[in-house]
Parts: sequence; C-alpha cells; structure tokens
Amino acid sequence: MLEVENIDVYHGQIQALWQVSLKIADGELVALVGANGAGKSTIVESISGLLPLAGGSIGFNGVRLDKAPAHKIVEQGVCLIPEERGLFPGLSVLENLELGAFLPESRKVRAETLPFVFDLFPVLESRKDQKAGTMSGGEQQMLAIARALMSKPKLLMCDEPSLGLAPIVVKSIFKVIKQINQAGVSVLLVEQNVKAALSLAKRAYIIENGHVTGEGEAQSLLNDEKVKDAYLGTG
Amino acid sequence: MIALVAQTFVNGINVGALYGLAAVGLSLTFGVMKILNIGHGEFLMVGGYVAFWMLRLAGIDPFIGLPIVAVVLFLFGAVSYKLFFSTLSGFHEEQKIKNSLLIGFGLFLVFPQIARLLWTGDERAITPFYSGGSFPILGIRFGYVPLAGVLVAVIVILALHLFLKKTYFGKSVRGTSENWKAAKLMGINVNRTYMITFGIGTAIAGVAGILVGLTQSLSPGVGMEWTLKALIVVVLAGIGSVGGAFFAGLILGVLEAVGAIFMGPYAVALGLVIFLVILMFRPQGLFGKA
Amino acid sequence: MSNTKRFTISGIIVVILLLIPVVVSRTDLMTWLTFTLLYIALSQSWNLIGGYAGQQNLGHAAFFGIGALLVRTLWLYGTPLPLALVAGALAAMIFALIIGFPAFRLKGVYFIIGTLVLAEILKIIFDTILPHASVLPSKLLNDYSLTPRYYLSLVIALLAVGLVYGISRSKLGLGLMSIREDEDAAEAAGVDTLKYKLTAFLISTGLAGLAGGVYAYFAAAVLPGHMFAAEWTFDAVIIVFVGGVGTIIGPIIGSIFFVLLQQLLNLFLPAGTHVLVFGILFIFVVLYLPGGLVGLIHKLKKNAS
Repeated sequence: MLEVENIDVYHGQIQALWQVSLKIADGELVALVGANGAGKSTIVESISGLLPLAGGSIGFNGVRLDKAPAHKIVEQGVCLIPEERGLFPGLSVLENLELGAFLPESRKVRAETLPFVFDLFPVLESRKDQKAGTMSGGEQQMLAIARALMSKPKLLMCDEPSLGLAPIVVKSIFKVIKQINQAGVSVLLVEQNVKAALSLAKRAYIIENGHVTGEGEAQSLLNDEKVKDAYLGTG
Repeated sequence: MIALVAQTFVNGINVGALYGLAAVGLSLTFGVMKILNIGHGEFLMVGGYVAFWMLRLAGIDPFIGLPIVAVVLFLFGAVSYKLFFSTLSGFHEEQKIKNSLLIGFGLFLVFPQIARLLWTGDERAITPFYSGGSFPILGIRFGYVPLAGVLVAVIVILALHLFLKKTYFGKSVRGTSENWKAAKLMGINVNRTYMITFGIGTAIAGVAGILVGLTQSLSPGVGMEWTLKALIVVVLAGIGSVGGAFFAGLILGVLEAVGAIFMGPYAVALGLVIFLVILMFRPQGLFGKA
Repeated sequence: MSNTKRFTISGIIVVILLLIPVVVSRTDLMTWLTFTLLYIALSQSWNLIGGYAGQQNLGHAAFFGIGALLVRTLWLYGTPLPLALVAGALAAMIFALIIGFPAFRLKGVYFIIGTLVLAEILKIIFDTILPHASVLPSKLLNDYSLTPRYYLSLVIALLAVGLVYGISRSKLGLGLMSIREDEDAAEAAGVDTLKYKLTAFLISTGLAGLAGGVYAYFAAAVLPGHMFAAEWTFDAVIIVFVGGVGTIIGPIIGSIFFVLLQQLLNLFLPAGTHVLVFGILFIFVVLYLPGGLVGLIHKLKKNAS
C-alpha cells in the first residue's frame, strides 16, 4: 500500500534522512520508533508532502506521492496527525471536525462520519462548540484523531500521540487507535514510547539518526537485546 | 451648537464607514496570509476608475455596477497575487512580511504611473444624477450618496462576516489563517485559498474605491492616501479583527471630523499620530487579541 | 579585483570627477551629474540602514527634508554654507535619536510602516505651515553657478560612499549584517542590537540630512513641503534595490541608471515614466533577483568563467 523507497530528506542545508525505506501493507498497524530527533517526524512529514525529497520516491497504491502537493496527498487517503496535533485553536470543535471533512468525498458523507466520531469520543460531542485551543491535552489529541477520521483516511499516520499526556489518557488513545486499525484503516504510529508502540503494533521500524537501523515483528523486537538496552531502559 | 456637533458626527460616520470598508480588505489579507499589502490603495483606485468609466462611457449607475467592479477587482487581485505575491509563500515569516511590504511598495510605484498614462492625472468624480442631493432630519443634512455608501459598507462587511463564519470555504480561510500546515493536512489547497482571499480583499477595496469616487474624488495618486487610512484603521482595530475594522473606521472618521473643527488642516495628521501612538502602546489595537 | 586595483580605479574616477567642471560647461550635463551624485549620496545613506542593517526605513524623506529645510533657512539668512550643512546634518540626527528609541522597539513590519507614517506627518505639517515656495533672492539668483553645487554634491557623495564602505568593513558593519540576517540570533550572540541599529540610523540620517542640504543649496526655487516628499525615500529605496542592496557599488550603479533613465524618458514620455520602469524593475528584483544589478553582473561573470 505505502512504499517509501530510499528517501533522502534535508532540513534546509542539513540532511535529516539517509536512504530510508519502509513499507506498509493494507490494514497493517506499523510502528516507527526511535529517540527524540531521530527523524521520525521528518519521515511522516515527507510522506504528507510537507517536505520535499532530495532523492528516492514514495508511492501509495500506485500513485507517486512525492510529486504531489500536500492537499492532493490527503485526497489519496493519506492523513497525518502531526506532533503539534494540527488543530485550529480559535475554531470550535465542530468547525475543526467539519474542516477535517473538507475534501468533497469526505464532505458528502460527513453526516454519517460525525456521529461515528462522536460515538468514539463522547467528550467531543459535549464540547462541540468550545474553542479547540481551550481544551485539555488529552481532549485535543482526541479531537486531532477525530478530525483525521473525518477525512475517511486509508492510511492514518499518528506522530507521537502520547506526547504530554497522562498515562491513563495514553492508554485510552492507544485503545482507540487499535479500534481504528481494526476497522480497516492502516496505521503508521510514530512514537518515542517504544514499549507502548511495540505492544500495539504488528511490525515496527527503528530509526536512529536518520537511518533505519532495525525492522521486524514487534514481538521479536520487544525481546531483542539491543532494543531492550537502547530503548526499554534498565529500569 | 448641537446641530453642528450632530452634523459633524454624521459626516464623520459617512467618511468613517468608508475608512472601515477600505481597511477590511487589508485586514483580511494581513490576518490570513501575513501580507501587508501597501499597494492596497491602488486596487481601491482602480475600482473607482472602473466605476467612473462605466458611468461615463456606458451610463451604468455606480451602485448597479458595483458587482461588476467587485468581480473585476477580484480577478485583478487574484492575478496580481499569482504574479507578485505567491512566490513569497516559500519564505519564512519575517522575510515574507518584509518582502510583501516591498512588493506592495512596488505596486504603489507602478500602478499610479500606469493610471496616469491611461487616464491622465485629472481628478475625477463619479457623479450620477442624484449626487449632491440630501434630505434633512432635525436640521441635520443626510446626503443620499454618503448614506448609500454607509449602507453599502455595512452590507459588504456583514456579508464578509457571514461568509467567514458560515460557509465551508470561509471556515477554511479562518482555519488556514490560524494554522496553514494543519490546513494543508486537511486537504485544503492553501495557495488557492490565499489567492482567493487576496482577491476578496481587493474586490472590497474596489468597492470602497467606488464610494471614494462618489463622495470625494479619484486621481492616480489617491492610492497611498487610502492605504495609509486603511493602515491606521487596521492598527487601531487590531490585526485580524474584521468586524473591528469597521468600528475602528467609524471612530477614525468621527475623530477626524471633530478634529477638523479644532485643528483645521492638521486634522489629517491626527489619524497618523493616533496610529503611531497605538503602535507604541497598544499594538494589538482596540479589538485585537494581545 | 584586488583592493589596490579597486582603490586605483576609484581614485582615477574621483580625479576625473574633480576635473569635470574645468572641461565641461554645458549646464544640462552638469545638472545631470550633480543630481546623480546627489542620488548616490541619498541612496547610499539609505543603503546603510536598509541594506546593511536590514531596517527598511520608509521615512527617510523626513531626514532629507529636515536637513534641506534647515540648511536652506540658515543659508538664506546669511549663515556660511559649511556651518549650515553641519547644522542640517545634526538636526536630522537629533530627530533620528528622538524617534529612534521608540521606533526600534517596533518589530520589523511595524518599524517600516511607522517610519512611513512619521514622514507623512512631517510632510503634512510642513505643507501646511510653509505653503509658499522658497525662492532665491535676486542677488543670489544672478550669481548662481552650478560649479560649487557640483563640487558640494561630489564631496557629499564621496563622504557617503567612503563612510558606508568603511563601516561595511568594520565591526559595526559585521554587527549590522548579523542583525539583518537574524536579529534574535545576533542578540543571543551578544550583539547590542539597539546600539548598533541606532548608530547606523544616526549615520544614515546624518548623511540624508547632508544630501538634503545639497538639494537646498542647489534648488533655485522649492516648496518646503517638497523637501519632505515621499519620493526622496522611494527613489532611494528603488535605486538601492535595483542596483544591489547591501553593496557599495549597487547604489552607485543604481543612481547613474536612475538619473539617466529619468533624463532620457522625460524627453519623449510623460513625466514619471522612469518611476514606472524602475518600479517594475524593483518588483522584479525583489521577487527574482535579490542581488540587483550587481548580483546579476556577478552571476554573468561566474557563468562566463
């Protein structure tokens, strides 16, 4: 479904990614783990068209994403929830959700998607006229996921959904992500919280300093000595 | 005495509504894409001239021809955006703002010269048969044309407000102005949104130009004067406050009218002084967010 | 080009310029040269604050005007010209000091707009209090000779070029350029940005005041309001940008080109057309050719080698 092949990406003059490749098949939940600054966000931003490629290619269901502008990539069904959540703080929850369904295809069915999303996150319905910027971190994360769902994505990319959230909230967020995946949406989960990500995902890639340094089944990675040392800590 | 004050007030509102209308387009453009178009007044000037020639050559009443001017200026603005400003969207914010100022400055240099070549430097006024007419209420004179001008300003600004609040595209404009990255990630074509927003801004400026032609006069050099007025109002109101721009315009209009009684010709400088004072001590303006 | 070569060529040019009045007597040519030198001084003065420091002061005309008005007034009342010129420059600099402190508190855009508005205010005030043209009394008109005007213009132009050149190579210049590139980073690196900006502003406005003085001495008749006309700012800005902002040669080439174009186009086309042409060039430079003509020449040289 998604094929990232040997991409090189620069932030200005500085190279951030070297020959990064990864694949996601239909319906998979794949994790992208690594330390802060390893390049994980750069990867998903490149897939989304926010950053240009200096080399390599990105294909999605046969369509070349790296040649397309960001808004066209969303049309293809690839949706990114960025690290900063990507919300409109001055607009209400409802308006944010409506804009999530901006594209004509999603706009047509938003009468059904909205109740579905409110079902998943009842707290959003109760706050639907509240300005998005005034909500708590957890609620904002829920809104971010909800608005991504409004665009009826085929591939959902979540960049650090657990960031800044209390563990109990993180648990419920991850539960929702699992639910979304089970409903048929492929998910690329970017996380610093390696343990949680590997427990959720089927497969995973490890990113270090802009290179892919490991890949495999999540279970085997969890048990891998090197991974345990580097990411799962001694305590 | 009361009659004088009241008349001054009414005159101030008449002009103030115009100031507000002139400012709204600028506020929209700056709020949404951080482009401070100091060529804004040039579009106002062009709008006025279009209405003038429509009346002169085809006998089209300026109020009836208003939608035509709006459409023409919208297209003109959208094309101008594409040609001159869209290249800037690649720069990062500080550089973008500075360069957009320079581009606007370039437009301010170029447009009046072209206007002078095409239409001569003569002052023009749009004078349909009913201009100059007025009716009195309680001894205060209400001119037909200025009153219609106030009405037009109110309608346009109300329409813009509804557009931004209620329509899908309007919401996407508001969203884009808050977070263009997020907008892109929702499938919004940010470049096209900017272009359309800019066009709306220039269309409104063009309509204001018609009113300027009706109540004052047009000449190739009239652009900068109105850009400055618009700037004062925008700063007074606070960036991003579209409704606030209207009220700030009214305030400025009334202040100038009252000021003219006491300060005579210096009253024009009053607005500029207020501008500087606000800039220094309350940069977020009267209605803006800090 | 090595420094010695550069200095030699400059020296030769200066000598030629010094000798011109001896060989040339056509008034139109002399006027043209005087004006070009005036514009070199004016644009170079703006280049310092706008080009090197990156603070695009759109109120430059105010300082030109202050210098011009004071010099004209003092000189017409009998003050020796050199003294009047110094007074004019000082007045401009004092005014710059007064508004500099609050002005520089404004960030980026607001500084630019604020200075523009300030100049407008001054123009309106002087248009109103001094609506009558200042005409040279008949004795001075009879004795009017272009030669001293030319030399004055030359001296001020040399001063402007020399000063800006010297600053560009000094610690001040380095500081200014770092402020231009990234003010926050410069501040963090320990540059006293306010002090540097003010210094550049003072020198820039002082030179502008001197340039104004040259104009005041030159003009047979002039409306005081015109001394504050925004055109002085705008001409300087477009000359600097089209020539090559932040370079020494840029304003010089720009000025020559500008005045030449003005004289040529005025022959067949309505007045002001040269502004149209330069305006279009200006937009083009801002969008596509940030180095101006100087940058273009460099690129062509590089491509040729």
